[in-house]
Amino acid sequence: MITLRMEFQKIRRKKIALTMCALLCVQFAWLLWSGSHPDENERLNGWISMLYSLPLVSVIMMPVIMSVLASRFADVEHKGNTYKLLNTLRRPGTLYHAKVICGLFFIFAISVAQFIFVIALGYARGYAGHPEWKYYAAAFVLNLSCCLSLYLLQLLLSMLFFNQMIPLVAGLGGSMLGLILMYVKMYSFLPWGGFLSAAQVSMDWNPETKVVHFFYREYSPVELCAVAMIFVWIVVFYAAGRILFGRKEV
Amino acid sequence: MPTQNLVETHNLTKQYGKIRCVNAVNMQVPPGAIYGFLGPNGAGKSTTLKMILGLARTTEGSITLFDTPVNEKNRMKLLAQTGSLIESPSYYGHLTGEENLRIIQTLKGCSEKDINEVLKIVRLNDARKKLVNHYSLGMKQRLGLAAALLGFPKLLILDEPTNGLDPAGIQEMRELICTLPSGYGITVIVSSHLLGEIDQMADHVGIIRKGELVYQNTLESLHSHSKEQIALRVSHMAIALDLLRQDGIEATQEDGYLLLPMVDDTYVANLCRLLVAQNISLYRVEKREKSLEDIFLSLTGKETSL
Repeated sequence: MITLRMEFQKIRRKKIALTMCALLCVQFAWLLWSGSHPDENERLNGWISMLYSLPLVSVIMMPVIMSVLASRFADVEHKGNTYKLLNTLRRPGTLYHAKVICGLFFIFAISVAQFIFVIALGYARGYAGHPEWKYYAAAFVLNLSCCLSLYLLQLLLSMLFFNQMIPLVAGLGGSMLGLILMYVKMYSFLPWGGFLSAAQVSMDWNPETKVVHFFYREYSPVELCAVAMIFVWIVVFYAAGRILFGRKEV
Repeated sequence: MPTQNLVETHNLTKQYGKIRCVNAVNMQVPPGAIYGFLGPNGAGKSTTLKMILGLARTTEGSITLFDTPVNEKNRMKLLAQTGSLIESPSYYGHLTGEENLRIIQTLKGCSEKDINEVLKIVRLNDARKKLVNHYSLGMKQRLGLAAALLGFPKLLILDEPTNGLDPAGIQEMRELICTLPSGYGITVIVSSHLLGEIDQMADHVGIIRKGELVYQNTLESLHSHSKEQIALRVSHMAIALDLLRQDGIEATQEDGYLLLPMVDDTYVANLCRLLVAQNISLYRVEKREKSLEDIFLSLTGKETSL
């Protein structure tokens, strides 16, 4: 607990919360812009369409947000050469845990903010009825899990490399990759594709009538494996981070 | 078995690939000492100190701290009684000096009062509320020392603590280090590549060269190696050497000089008279002293820089 408390002390004045808010605002602007003038049909399908849009926004924005978050946590240590002092006060594993938990706190806050915004936006636009809480809750948990897996990957890179451009480029690359994989439908088993694998809603579009039909997905066994992969990545990245950070000589 | 030393290493070795940076080092640091760990750049000083602190893994050998062999289980417990400043100070530049010390104090689990105390010792009291990014290098170095002093550990390991400091800062740091054993009962290991620096601070010295500890003893003992000699430059070396030997003086011939052990002034005057009486021209009479630098170079090799 002391190490975790110190983790929050260390990031004072680093304006991490402000940076996260700025990046979230980009997401919110995107969601505001899409469907800004809903017609009757869109109001009727508003809640379900939101669950379709959210993973699309996340797959592009979250890898960047997670790389920035992890980079800020690791950078405070790299800049002041503090590992060689900290490693004489705490085991590397304990320091790693503190960074993971501290990051998880921010990820949780980001996810909560994201969903509160989406729900508030839905009500403000006058979508019919109420959100399907069951699907929204599942989307929240899976979104949080995807973010955590990406954060663990980025934290691993940020702590291992002194030059923070490397993890930041990896984050941007992941964002681009997620976007590309979305079109070739190969996203299922990659960490950056987790948001799409876990999407609760799918759609079909009739080219003749030009009507979009949203529906809640029923996962096939393969798709279920893809969702399970999110949790596998969490375990893999966590273990890799713990082992590599513990072995690193300073 | 209990030992007399606060720190002992036994055949401590570190190998990177095929290169042995530290080779079978047996360091012995007695309690209450200022142990000067001396060696040219790249000799293995920092690696040795990092291994003692557990920042680098040992390839071979063992370490004993406070009479207890260090292992993975007790490492943190033993390190809780140490403070360190390795290579450059560790700090959070976006925090104030006081905030930095508070983090270390909390992690060390020592008293909050220690913060004021160490800030006074390193004379950073007035700059405690200033962001460390705005500190000068000397101030950062002093902050690093303050962090190492928190909790007043039994052992302080300082790796080149005067690096990058101006002459006044170096002097200040030296004075500070010298007061630690007597003032606070702290044993200090301080590394440097500057002999003069160690000469002014340490009472025990270990000299490392290419990863091997080539000398270890008290500084006094090192000084005793610096013997004085009389050097004579004469026209007929062989005759002069015979004359000296007949007089029971063991002289040697080196670089065109006759070197004889330190003798008193009267003997030198008589010797000069004798040589002139034998028609030997006397060109020079010099007093020579083998300096610490000479000893250091003879131990570490002349190709290395001081």
